[in-house]
Amino acid sequence: MASLSNLKQIPTLSSPTGVGHRQNYIPELEQYPTINLKNELLNPSAHRFSVGHSFIPVESESVPKRISRTFFDGGFWESLAEARSEKTREQAPLISKTADYIAHLLDLYSRFKLKVFPHTQQLSAERIAQYAETRDWVNSSVRYIAWHVHLFKLAVAGVDDVVRVYSKITDNNAGMGPVLKSPTQTQITCMAWRPLCAFELVVGCRQGLCFWIIDNNLHLGRTINPSHTLKHPDNLPISSLQWNKDGTLLATASIGDRAILIWHPDSKRLKPLKRLGPPGSLLSWSPCNEWIFAATVDRVFRVWKCHDRWTSDRWVCDGGNVQAACWSPYGRFLLFASTAEPILYRLQFVQLLLQSSKSDDKEVLPVADLNACTLDSSKHTLIGGTVQQLVWDPQGKYLVITFKSTNSIAIFRTYIQKYDLQISGGYYLNGQTTAEYPSFVCFQPLNKDNDRSVLTIGWSSGRIQFYALH
Amino acid sequence: MSNATITTCKLLLFGRCVRAVLLSVGVQFLLLTVFLLLVNFQLLHPLDWVMGSLRLVCSFYTWFACIPLLGAVVFYGMTLSHQHLAERRYCPTRYRWLLQNGPRKLLFLFAHLVVGYLTAWLYTGYLHTDYRHFVHKCYGQDCLNSYHIFLLGMGLSAGCYYFATEYMHEEASIDFDFAEQSRPEKLRELLYGTLLKAPISSVMPTLCYTFIFWLFGAFLKYRLSVLVNVDTDDRLLGILDVITNGRLLFYGWLLSAQIVSNMHLMRCFYATLLSEKLPMVVARNRVSLGSEQEVTVVAGLGVLNVYVVQCLAANFLYEEARRKNSSVRAEIFQLTEPGNRPANWRALCDQCVSIVGSFTEELSDSMRQISLMKGNEQNFASIHSDSSAALLAEKLLLRQYNQMHGIRPVVSLPRDVPNQEWDTKAMDSIRHVPNWCERTSMKLEKLLQQLLRRIPGIVYFFSEPEGAKTEFLLENALPVIWLTQALAHICVASINEDSYGVVQDDLPGIIKALHRLKCELDRLSNGMPNFRTTSNSFNHLRYAVRRSLYNICTSFYKYLGELSSSGEELRQLQAFVYQG
Repeated sequence: MASLSNLKQIPTLSSPTGVGHRQNYIPELEQYPTINLKNELLNPSAHRFSVGHSFIPVESESVPKRISRTFFDGGFWESLAEARSEKTREQAPLISKTADYIAHLLDLYSRFKLKVFPHTQQLSAERIAQYAETRDWVNSSVRYIAWHVHLFKLAVAGVDDVVRVYSKITDNNAGMGPVLKSPTQTQITCMAWRPLCAFELVVGCRQGLCFWIIDNNLHLGRTINPSHTLKHPDNLPISSLQWNKDGTLLATASIGDRAILIWHPDSKRLKPLKRLGPPGSLLSWSPCNEWIFAATVDRVFRVWKCHDRWTSDRWVCDGGNVQAACWSPYGRFLLFASTAEPILYRLQFVQLLLQSSKSDDKEVLPVADLNACTLDSSKHTLIGGTVQQLVWDPQGKYLVITFKSTNSIAIFRTYIQKYDLQISGGYYLNGQTTAEYPSFVCFQPLNKDNDRSVLTIGWSSGRIQFYALH
Repeated sequence: MSNATITTCKLLLFGRCVRAVLLSVGVQFLLLTVFLLLVNFQLLHPLDWVMGSLRLVCSFYTWFACIPLLGAVVFYGMTLSHQHLAERRYCPTRYRWLLQNGPRKLLFLFAHLVVGYLTAWLYTGYLHTDYRHFVHKCYGQDCLNSYHIFLLGMGLSAGCYYFATEYMHEEASIDFDFAEQSRPEKLRELLYGTLLKAPISSVMPTLCYTFIFWLFGAFLKYRLSVLVNVDTDDRLLGILDVITNGRLLFYGWLLSAQIVSNMHLMRCFYATLLSEKLPMVVARNRVSLGSEQEVTVVAGLGVLNVYVVQCLAANFLYEEARRKNSSVRAEIFQLTEPGNRPANWRALCDQCVSIVGSFTEELSDSMRQISLMKGNEQNFASIHSDSSAALLAEKLLLRQYNQMHGIRPVVSLPRDVPNQEWDTKAMDSIRHVPNWCERTSMKLEKLLQQLLRRIPGIVYFFSEPEGAKTEFLLENALPVIWLTQALAHICVASINEDSYGVVQDDLPGIIKALHRLKCELDRLSNGMPNFRTTSNSFNHLRYAVRRSLYNICTSFYKYLGELSSSGEELRQLQAFVYQG
């Protein structure tokens, strides 16, 4: 079983936004955009603001008028808060007293409702963060990174609920593309470019799914809106989404819903895959479209077989819930790690026997021990612990792991054979400072313009870094 | 297409229809059990309640009383099968539609009424004695039972309501499942979904029927009393009588929910069973017995007059084309023995390209009839060859808006002056000036047409609505959606699997056919934005075609130069890959 004890520091690979790494120069990386979200988040134009901010409040407004205006501006709850504010309490104590009674009654009702229907509890940002792939999702500058499958297009979602699209740097293009911002797109948890399509991006957020069609006209600088939005039937936030290989079906999971939803966006149809058990948290479609891995917020996880009749195999972890999972490039192996123990497990999807395999034939094997240990270069720095994210490079040579509590990235070497998988120690990678940690990592897919495994790291500082692994 | 193929397909589908009828018959007992459990509910004696209800279901009375309803269900099933297997022809006017579909629809409405009536008749037999009989004793003589009539009328109206909402204007449709689960799971979900949804959806029809019964009930009861020669009772005369009778309303609502659920379940059984995969082969096995029912994919695709069969064949091909390891795909790439000819691929490719081509042709012809598209044909031609089609479409929309509101352009549109002069001269030289007789006759004809158009109903019944043909084609484009994607997947898979190179010769033809269809759909999308926003079938087709073309273009990107027929097409395809 592989472990973290024999990892070496990664050789100095080229990286345009890295400092001082220029020894193994790779010219292609010069064309990658330089991204630092921290700078862009400081820009006031990027901040979300409402129409109300543009006007100076009227001081002489009467209390009922102010409350009714707040109602039309911000809805019932805002107006109730306004009625209970200090200012109203001074000017009209009777109104604020009545508002207190109403608030108290509503509070009682909601408490009673939660007792009877505990599943109707509003999903807070903290709860979303608990199951998100991004580390410290609530405060992280980078919330998600998605590469286009066929083209050089990189979408980066920031904490400001804005998605920025970047492209290759050329003589007449600095690499910055359109900025996707909408009031119907808050608390972004996941996103994906649609396969076999040059310009469609879907963003999973609190409001559901926002579909963006990014065509050439966007450079005209006009206000753009999502081409359409699809809401979860129970108005729940989307916690994970993934397209199938040919871009016809979109699978989504929500931490408030037990069913996995399979959307057919072209015909606007929806098929819930229902099973008894805890709500779903993470989804991963195998590269050949044959299986869907579906983790839940509890110990249970399922692997759905997606050809002919859709059926599922149920598995149970020893404790915690599955935090991260990834498929090998041809879908023969699945690696996953739970929140309960720092062990990497493998599930094999290759038939060893001639007979058709049953779920019992498959077994979960531990393949790597990820217990925290000190790095060889610095005895004070730890690496390992509970896994945050797992990504496998598209060539199947490297496995990248980030952790919940330690700041270094572990890179293992993998050797995929027909019926076996070997994992051996590789490298570790640190940020610019010891406090900097990886928020989100992913690999650029292989396509006609890219034949390298380029690791993309969104650091906690808002810096995006690219590493070409050989 | 050979009659043998059509007969084989129809026989296969008939078997499924019979299974659907049997399921429908079976579900009657389930629904009856649910009804009895609801109407006989006893909180304090649960065992008695369940046992009593089950005993009633199993009683001889029920088995005998059910016979008329079961007969009606079989009749309903037959008419529903007829709806599914009927040829879908385009009817340009409503008059033609009535001529072609009127009798079939009337028969189907009759089936709905019969099932609704017999369900109400059967179920009222289990209700309280006040509701059970058609005639009852009041003031010592026989009277019509208003409650019973109300409930029978509810049965008829529920049947009529379901027909009007589901079948009156639309053809019986089958939703092919994109994430198909096992049959028991599907049935379980269907039952849960239906039984939960029907009580809510039948509230409004119940209230409407109650209102109508209050308005016309007295007249109906009077006519019936004359017919059966008995008096009418004095119940349900005023609106207060009706709305304060909670039990009657509850029974009426329950009955309506049961009938709506019943019809919905029957519809879904048919849709589920008919959409199941049809066993097809790429090529007929020569040594197979003649009695074996083998349908080839090519033959299935050619059954144009049974829409379901064409859909099933296209779906089969699509599913096999996208599968990871498919024996069907391997068979397509094989050469014949003896002869070494790619007969399987040849037949399949020719059939698919011909279907896609003829669809494009028909779509293009239908689009020429749309006045909005007609006016802008020249402009669209330029869009055709421009990658920023959406931008130009916006200009066109602006121009249409200006024309509609009488806003003239500040600067006249640039025109190709030499060509125009040449055209004018040419036109002048051959222009025919009509004499007074022709002019008068033309004027008279125009006047007559205008007069006719003023007669109410003439335009409604005898003129073709704008864009109706295009809409019809798009509504029935499911086989084309699957075929284009299947072709693309097969072409892409050929890179690794086609060891004899049977596909490569046809790639230019396939790319051309898909590109042409994509251009036509883009043209429609730009010219008629309402299709883009309202029609799911249009979006489904458009995105499927775009994805298919993208799949081929991105996989064969290096060879696009050799595969495209002209420099313009090459430029467009390259732009399509990078800019969409």
